[in-house]
Formats: sequence, structure tokens, C-alpha cells
Amino acid sequence: MIKRLAVAATLLGALIATGCQPTGNTATSSAGTDCQPATGGSVNLYTARHYASDAVIYEAFTCATGIRVQKIEVPADQLLARLQAEGDASPADVVVIQDAGAMGQAANAGYIVPFQDAVIDQRVPAQWRDPQGRWFGIARRARIVAYDTRRVRPEEITDYADLASPRFHGQVCVQTSDAVYNLSLMSALIDRWGSERALAWARGIVANMARPPQGSDSDQIKAVAAGQCQVAITNHYYFLRLAESEDAADRAVVEHVALAFPQIAGQGSHFNLSGAGLGAHAPNRENAIRFLEFLTGPEAQRTFATETNEFPTTTEAQMPDDVAAYSHHAADPLPLPAYAEHRAEAQRIFEQAGWR
Amino acid sequence: MGAILAAGIALAPLAAVVIVALGPMVDSLTGETFRRYAATSATLALLVGLGSALIGGLAAWLVALHDFPGRRVFAWALVTPLAAPAFVLAYGYASLFDVAGPIRTAWRTAFGWDPPLEMRTLWGAAIVMVLAFYPYVYLTLRAALVNTSSSLAEAARTMGLSRRQTFWRVTLPLARPALAAGVALAVMETLADYGATSYLTVQTLTTGVVRAWSIFYSAAEAARLALPLLAAAAVLLWIERASRRAVADSGQSRWREVERSRLPGFSSWLASLFCLSLIGLGLVLPLGWLAHLGWASNPDLAQLVSAGRNALGLGLVAALVTTALAALVALSARTGRFLPRLLSLGYATPGAVMAIGLLAPAGLIWRAFPATVSSFLMAIILLILAYASRLMAAALEPIDAGLQRISRSVRAAARSLGETEAGVARRVEVPLASGALFTAAMLVFIDVLKELPATMILRPFGFDTLAVMADHYAKDERLGEAAWPALSIVLIAVPAVIWLTRRVSHSRPGDSA
Repeated sequence: MIKRLAVAATLLGALIATGCQPTGNTATSSAGTDCQPATGGSVNLYTARHYASDAVIYEAFTCATGIRVQKIEVPADQLLARLQAEGDASPADVVVIQDAGAMGQAANAGYIVPFQDAVIDQRVPAQWRDPQGRWFGIARRARIVAYDTRRVRPEEITDYADLASPRFHGQVCVQTSDAVYNLSLMSALIDRWGSERALAWARGIVANMARPPQGSDSDQIKAVAAGQCQVAITNHYYFLRLAESEDAADRAVVEHVALAFPQIAGQGSHFNLSGAGLGAHAPNRENAIRFLEFLTGPEAQRTFATETNEFPTTTEAQMPDDVAAYSHHAADPLPLPAYAEHRAEAQRIFEQAGWR
Repeated sequence: MGAILAAGIALAPLAAVVIVALGPMVDSLTGETFRRYAATSATLALLVGLGSALIGGLAAWLVALHDFPGRRVFAWALVTPLAAPAFVLAYGYASLFDVAGPIRTAWRTAFGWDPPLEMRTLWGAAIVMVLAFYPYVYLTLRAALVNTSSSLAEAARTMGLSRRQTFWRVTLPLARPALAAGVALAVMETLADYGATSYLTVQTLTTGVVRAWSIFYSAAEAARLALPLLAAAAVLLWIERASRRAVADSGQSRWREVERSRLPGFSSWLASLFCLSLIGLGLVLPLGWLAHLGWASNPDLAQLVSAGRNALGLGLVAALVTTALAALVALSARTGRFLPRLLSLGYATPGAVMAIGLLAPAGLIWRAFPATVSSFLMAIILLILAYASRLMAAALEPIDAGLQRISRSVRAAARSLGETEAGVARRVEVPLASGALFTAAMLVFIDVLKELPATMILRPFGFDTLAVMADHYAKDERLGEAAWPALSIVLIAVPAVIWLTRRVSHSRPGDSA
């Protein structure tokens, strides 16, 4: 017994020593010869994004500045909860969330604070910046419609309202209502149309559903390809990811599927934002500002476009051809605080309409 | 003293949930929505309870009381689905039954119409969870059937009952508490599950908790939604505990191997096929499909290795700490049964609810010691404490059972020889219950490997575990990449589960451990 315990303890000690080392250091592994030595301190990043593109950007930032990126990746709701629990003691330097509504909530709760930066203001158009200067967009994603090219003509979907018309009875696929991208779309519709029309629309969509809401955006696109529905509400990059996949089966999915960019009240399509802001109690404020600037720089902006197929928020950013092909579509210039403002009402409308 | 500390650690998050629930009301979820969530939870619990009772019960009855080809292997292999987190099974089945998935495509090609089963429905979720949780029923019931004193059955036979009558009138009534205990465990897991149900888009109270929290940013509302779940957990625990006592009461000290009846030719193969299909559906099919998906993707090997090391390290430390704390509670609470039962609530509490409860005490510590918020060590300590409070019950059960087997007279003898209370514990009880301690540690280890919500919210900077990594990729709709960490969890947990099973099946009433 004692012997067994001793063995276990030894093993344990070894594991604590080797296994539990922080692994956030990304600078040493693949630092090229041109990189700065990683002696510039660190920046504490709280991010809800979980994409491969971001790791590339962190590495590039460390290489360019010598500042290490220490990150916590948590879903948006838990991120906000953790920031709340930490209060004044929070070590968050930078907060990044891939949803305008959640960024607005973080700002309203005071987890991120206004800051002035000429570089960011010059690079990012005012449309993609919080009017109070608390956060700004780093990448954009369109929430639009994937349709079956054999059964639907693109001119049949010029407005989000078209999806709720009897034309598409039993032909709409979409995620559940708690999908954060649906909530932000609904917030935009509430702002542009008013609550009553937004509720009527949600009821129309529920009546048109081909199946109960389920699965991911990719699943909706696959359902269109399989003929289960003619139209699906999806974020644009899931379509592009399938289209450029190395897997022939993925590419086959989008053979008869295309994207349509409907408008809201003639204002443009709904584009959600990944936002970034400065932590209210940032211990490494200078590093944080450098990191925020870096996110709007040409390298990071190009990486969002190439790796995740998102649209850049800066005007001069480069993007690959397949992303650029969709970048001309007009985006609804809804003031950013509207997304957080209508969030709770959006969920209530979904529930009233019976949109699971 | 130690017991009070352990109790404090285990109860702090639960107390926090109740306190938070008393917070200000906000206008968020409608009453109708709440009723729909509750109805879905209840239906799912009922379906999984019935399904796992039926399937796990049949399997236990076959393996414990009959001989058929492969029985010895099935005896432990039937438990292996426990090694796979329910959310991993959900990934596999959702993908298999997808509109463009292999089963649906093949079925449509063969028959020209859609298969009648959708995985992303209440029924689909029930099937996935029955496959994930039937081993609880199987394990408890088989142990009870094997341990039913054969002398009782023999007595019944001598008094003229047929084999069939003996089963219905003696064996089954004696095993009924074990069946109830197993079903209670399966239902508890069902109610607490978030990963599988949310992936399959079934909206239960537990997913409602998360919705209230993430959309309305109302911890109070979320905590209020959690209260019925806590109540259900308390009731189920009470059933489980009461059943366990009944099992213990029927135990006889004289033990002989139960006589197994040999199944005739055809039905013996049917029995083998049944057991084989359980393992096939619970483990081989969904994990095989995930492996197939994973094969086509390129894993980030460095990340996988570091996540694996983190998970192993955390699991071992958490196992040690939790077992030690549970042992303190069990040793000091041998006379009262209320405390262990109360502490066990954490186990039946949904992880998402625990996360709310964990953040409040963690926040107090962070605010008191601001310098430690970004410290690696502090984050790990909080995480270990979180596991300890969540998994105390898993460790407490076997330790409790192990200690109860030590006869009162042994303690009395040690005391009369001049040992202090602490000395009795250290030099007599702990060594005698060492097997139980290892069992407890192993259970905690397996659960930590699979744990998601607490790890996600409390972990230090740049710290991934296998479960967190799998969840990331699955959320990003990259199931192939998610398959690697998901399968790694199973590969690590399977030997542990098999070891546990063999231990349990070799332990007999009257043994020292």
C-alpha cells in the first residue's frame, strides 16, 4: 500500500514538473531568424475566437514585436462571466469576441474601456468602430443565404423578408435561435423593421422550416445540397470553406449551391463583426495597444481573409480571390451598439415565434 | 478539521448557486419556455432511464447468470462505453446520421426514402445517452446479481421453486435496489449533460441554464433554472443511497460463486450478438467513424501532446486531492449519513451550473489576492478545488463502501490497544480500505479527463486539455480535427475503466477491500 502510494506520488511529481508547464509561449517554437527576441513582455488576451488564423497572427505579432501572447480561449458567455468574477483584479489586456452583440455587452458592463488610437481610427472606417470608441471590428462575416441553384433563382432572395414568404414553404433550413449569429441578425431586423414586423418574420420562417432547427451552419449548407431544403441561412465563410476544401466530398456539396446576399430594408446585408477592445484594468496597456494596432495591420487583416475567409475591416487589406469575389456586397451600416441593445428582445421574439 | 475543510470546498459552489438565484429578477425567459425545457428534460430522463434499465439490465442478467460464447470478455467489455464522454458519442452519431452522412446516403440509395431516425431530436439524444450511460445499470446490477448469496437461491430451489420462479421471486426482488441505483445514476448523468444535448440541439433545462446565462447575461435567472435540477439531483441521490443500503442489508457473509445456467445453442448466440451490438453501437461504430474522419485531417501533434500531458497531469493531481478529501469526510462522517449525501450533490449538478457556482468563490479569491489572478499556480489550484467539489461524490461512494466493510470490532480492538482516533484511521482503516481508495482515485481521474465546463472557465493562460481541444474543433465544425483529442480521451480512459471493472468484479462481500 505505502509502496504503491510512493510510486504514485513519484509519478505525480514528475508529471507536475513536466506536464503542467504553461504552454502559451508561441514565440520560441517557430521563430524565424528575422524575429525580435521575445523580451518585450507579454499581452494577456481573452478571446472567444477559436480559429487557426488567429494562432498565425499571434505568432506573427510576437515575431514582429517580441511581445508574448498569453491567451485564454473561452466561449463568449463564459468569457464575460470570468471577466465579471475577476472584477478590478482582471488581468485581461485585450478582449476579442466574434460577435457584435457580445462585444457591446462587454462594453456596457465596463469590461472594456474607450481608448484613442490614431492608427486604428485611420485604418478602420467609422462604420466598423463603436461610436464611443470602446471597441472596433477586426474582421467581418456576412450572415446570408445559401440556395440550391437548380431550384431557386437568385433574384427570388433580394431581401431577408423573402425567406418568410410562402414561396419557400417547407424549404428553409436554419440553426437554433440561441446561435449567437441568429441573435445578432434578429437584433438588426428589430432595429430596421421594428419589433412587430420582426416577430411576423420569425413566425414566417418557422412556418417555412424544412425541419426543426438543428446542426451547424455547415450542416445547413449540406442540407441544401442534399435537397432537404432550397435555402439556408448561413455565415458566408462556411460556404467558402467547403468550396475550397481539399476533400472532394466537401467540394461536391457546393456544386449546386450558391450564396445570395439579401438586404435589410434596402440598407445592405447583415454583416456581423469580430471585435477587439482594451481591458478595463489592463496591466500591460502599452503592449495591448500595440496588439490592437497589429490586428488592423495588413498582415493580420490578410490572414483573417486567407485562413478563415472572413472579410477584412480595413479598406486597403488584401484578400484571396474567392473572398474578394463577395466583398463588394453592401453591408447594413447599423450603428454597433444596436446589437447589444436588442439582444434580449431578439431571444424573446424567437421564443414567441416558436423558433427553437 | 479536515472534514470541515473538505465539506466547505464541496459546498461552496452549490451555496453560491443558491445565493446567486436570490439575485434580482430580470425579465428573460417566459414561463412557457421554462415549461417546455422542463418537459423535455423530464421526457429525456424517462426515456434514458427506461432504455438503460432495459438494455443494461438485460446485459447484466445475461452476463451474471448465464453462460454463452464470449461471456468472460463481455463481462468487462460491456463497461468500456463509460470511457467515451457522451459528447464524443454525439459527435459521431450526429455526423453518421447527417443528411449527407454515410448512413442516410446509403439508406436513401438502397430504399429511395429517408431513414426514420434523426439523431438531432429527442429520440436521437435518448439513444445516444442510453448507449453512453447503460453501463451504470449494467455495473451495479451485475454486481448485485453476482453477490446475491447463492444460499438464498438454493434455499428457494430446495423449497420447490423452479429456476424461473426463483428468478422472479428471489433473485430479482433482491436485485431491484441495485437496478434502481443504476438507473438513478444514468438519469443523473442525463440531467447533468450539456455537451451531448446541446450538440444534438435538444433543449433541456440544462441548455436553458446556459441560454439564460449567455444571452440574457443573467446569472440569477440561470441559477433559478438550475434549482429544479438541483432538487431532482437530490431526489435521485436519495433513491440511489437508499437502494445502496438495501443492497448492503441483503448481503450474506457466506459467499459462493453463483451457479450460471448454460444457454441453449441458438439463444446463446443471440446473447452474444446482443452484447456485441451494445459494444459496437456504444463504442466501435461512433468512434470508428470519428477515427475515419480524423484520419483524413491533419492533427496538430504538438498541441495534442501538450493537451494530453495537461489532461493527464490534472487528472492525477485532482484524483489524489479529491480522494484525500473524500477519505477525510468518509472517516469523520462514519456515524452520520447526511453530510456525504449533501456533498454528493455536486456530482449530480450540471457542469454549466457548477461553473456559475465556481466563479463566485473564485472571484472572491481573485479580488482578495489580485496578484494571483494571472498566476498559473493559482489557476491550477482553483481548478483542482473545482474538480474536488464536483467529483467528491464519485470518490466518496467507493471509499464509504470500503470503510463500511471494516467491522466495528476491528476499530474497537485497535482503540483498546491504545491507538488514538487518528491513529486508527491512519494505521487500520486507511490501509484496509486502500483498494477502495484506488478505485476512488481512478473514478475521479476518468471524470476529470472528460470534464469540460469547469476546465474551460477556470484554466490558466494557454492551457488546453484534450476535452477543451475537442470542443474547440467541434464548435468550429471541424470534426476531423476534433476526432484526435476525442479519441485520445477514450484511449487513455479505456484501460482505466477495464481495470476498475475487473477490480469491482473480483471484490466480494466480506473481502477486506
